[in-house]
Amino acid sequence: MIKHYIQTKSYTTTCKQIEMGVIDLSAITRRKKERRSIGRFKREGYLSLYLMMLPVIAILIIFKYIPMNGVLIAFQDYNIFDGILGSEFIGLDNFRLMFSESDFLRALRNTFVLNLYKMCFYIPLPIIVALMLNEIGKRLRSFIQTVLYLPHFFSWVIVGGIFVSILSVNSGLVNQWMKSVGGEPVKFLFDSGIFLNVLVFSAMWKEIGWGSIVYVSAIASIDPEIYEAARIDGASLLQQMIRITIPNISSTIVLMTLMSLANILGNSFEQVLVMYNPAVYDVADIINTYVYRMGVNNMQYGYASAVGLFNGFVGFLFLISANYLCRKFLDKSIW
Amino acid sequence: MHRENMKNKSLSDKVLIVTCYSFLILLGITIIIPVMNLIAVSLSTQSSVVSGQVYIFPKGFHIEAYKYIMQSKQFYSSLYVSLFVTGAGSILAVICSILVAYPLSKRKLPGRKWLLLLFVFTMMFSGGIIPSYLLIQNLNLINSVWSLILPQMINVYNLLIIKNYFEAMNESIEESAKIDGAGQLRVLFSIVLPMAKPVIATVFMFFVVGYWNNYFDAKMYITKRNLMLIQQYLQTVIFEAKDPTGDFALNASSTLQMAPQTIINATVVYAMVPMVILYPLLQKFFEKGTMIGSVKG
Repeated sequence: MIKHYIQTKSYTTTCKQIEMGVIDLSAITRRKKERRSIGRFKREGYLSLYLMMLPVIAILIIFKYIPMNGVLIAFQDYNIFDGILGSEFIGLDNFRLMFSESDFLRALRNTFVLNLYKMCFYIPLPIIVALMLNEIGKRLRSFIQTVLYLPHFFSWVIVGGIFVSILSVNSGLVNQWMKSVGGEPVKFLFDSGIFLNVLVFSAMWKEIGWGSIVYVSAIASIDPEIYEAARIDGASLLQQMIRITIPNISSTIVLMTLMSLANILGNSFEQVLVMYNPAVYDVADIINTYVYRMGVNNMQYGYASAVGLFNGFVGFLFLISANYLCRKFLDKSIW
Repeated sequence: MHRENMKNKSLSDKVLIVTCYSFLILLGITIIIPVMNLIAVSLSTQSSVVSGQVYIFPKGFHIEAYKYIMQSKQFYSSLYVSLFVTGAGSILAVICSILVAYPLSKRKLPGRKWLLLLFVFTMMFSGGIIPSYLLIQNLNLINSVWSLILPQMINVYNLLIIKNYFEAMNESIEESAKIDGAGQLRVLFSIVLPMAKPVIATVFMFFVVGYWNNYFDAKMYITKRNLMLIQQYLQTVIFEAKDPTGDFALNASSTLQMAPQTIINATVVYAMVPMVILYPLLQKFFEKGTMIGSVKG
């Protein structure tokens, strides 16, 4: 949040104006006094504003800030019976264990690989979709948009259920079709080599429509007269797209890219949790699913908290860097 | 949008337009087909599913699977819990968002920067899954519906959307009301809210979608079967049915004469239906809403 200091006059000019009677000093001091008493009146208004926020802030603190005690738990050999104050403090042991644990390192690698892979598609494809939507007639356009936005509103349980259904080895749609054209059925969900592609494809299936909304509205705000002028000058639609549309939404593109970057440790958690199985752990087990298994299933609370803290902290660093880049290139903050 | 007619188009233009149409239609088909297959399998006979004949249209129209699910007590309890959590949660969440967005939209509020930071910080850094779980445990909220409502109630994204909208509103009406002696709360409810209906409706819809689709909170905090949310119930059904040699599959094919996939799909369809029904309403609001808040949904 930047304060704008509006500097209108220099000191000498102001003095001269006071001398000449253009600026009435006494009126100014009078107004200042009034503002202070209005200030008090306003503060009464402020009181009720603060009171309004109080219950919500309380809930915020309880449910978002208190769990940050994970920072402490991460350094403990946590025992639920002893609680935070009673559990033994073991310093960096959890972290040392973490970096020597091959499962964790695998999860770390998988997280980056999966999210970078997703980003390769998730950044350009919504842009392309928005550009293409821009070239189509209105009726088909709203129909396609309706269809495209729908999967975003389904939960991962539903989308996962759909993909598990159509990719099933025996009765899934895809394998059925492959059998009918003479191919062999593929174990999409159990084959490490293919599973990543399944994850990325299903994530695109779900989000590509919604992701294009931002760009669609950005394109809609471009002044149509520019296109008119280009058309009169004989530009083809392709040229118009490349030379008008894309440059005008470039700041939106950069903003979205940076936001994706900030999310690089990503939130594929629900998706993977719903769709993975032990056969594909070596490519699909990501940090959050690892934390989940270690913490909730194996009850290694201290260790899982340490991993979670590491994850949260690294994510925070990425977010801050992305925001810094954003401010540098676009003069805007992400928030 | 900026085209008028198709005549007098150069070849490159025509190629581009045809490409756009083909690509988008293909994309649309990619989305429609799996959903149609899902529904088709849920309506088809056992033999046709198992022998792999069902593509987009059902073979035979038999709603036994749907009837079977409707007989499950657990399905109803999950439905009821989900409806309650979604309804109560969304209403409470919207109220909380408004109660915070309004004060924070007043630029001259003392301490505003710090308050905003307090909220925005939770978007950047969170305690993690385990500490949240431990907190819920310590509050004795495990297996309580409130563990499903409260943590999600405060969504800073939605808060910012409402706050931005309030900031953009004209202050003069509020000020004249205040001069007439209205207190802040009164101003908020009688004047600001009626003017902010589109944004409130949009955010309400976002919460509804969030609560209805909630899977993870339920999985973590609810172990009693009759308190499961519908997504969680759905996941259990899918998981149990995945094993082709398990009880569920055997039961399905012998007693009920249905392919296990049929039952799974029927459950998925049930979970999908509320979203599909709400969807036209959502569409009306979110296009406006995302542009108002200029925040990616």
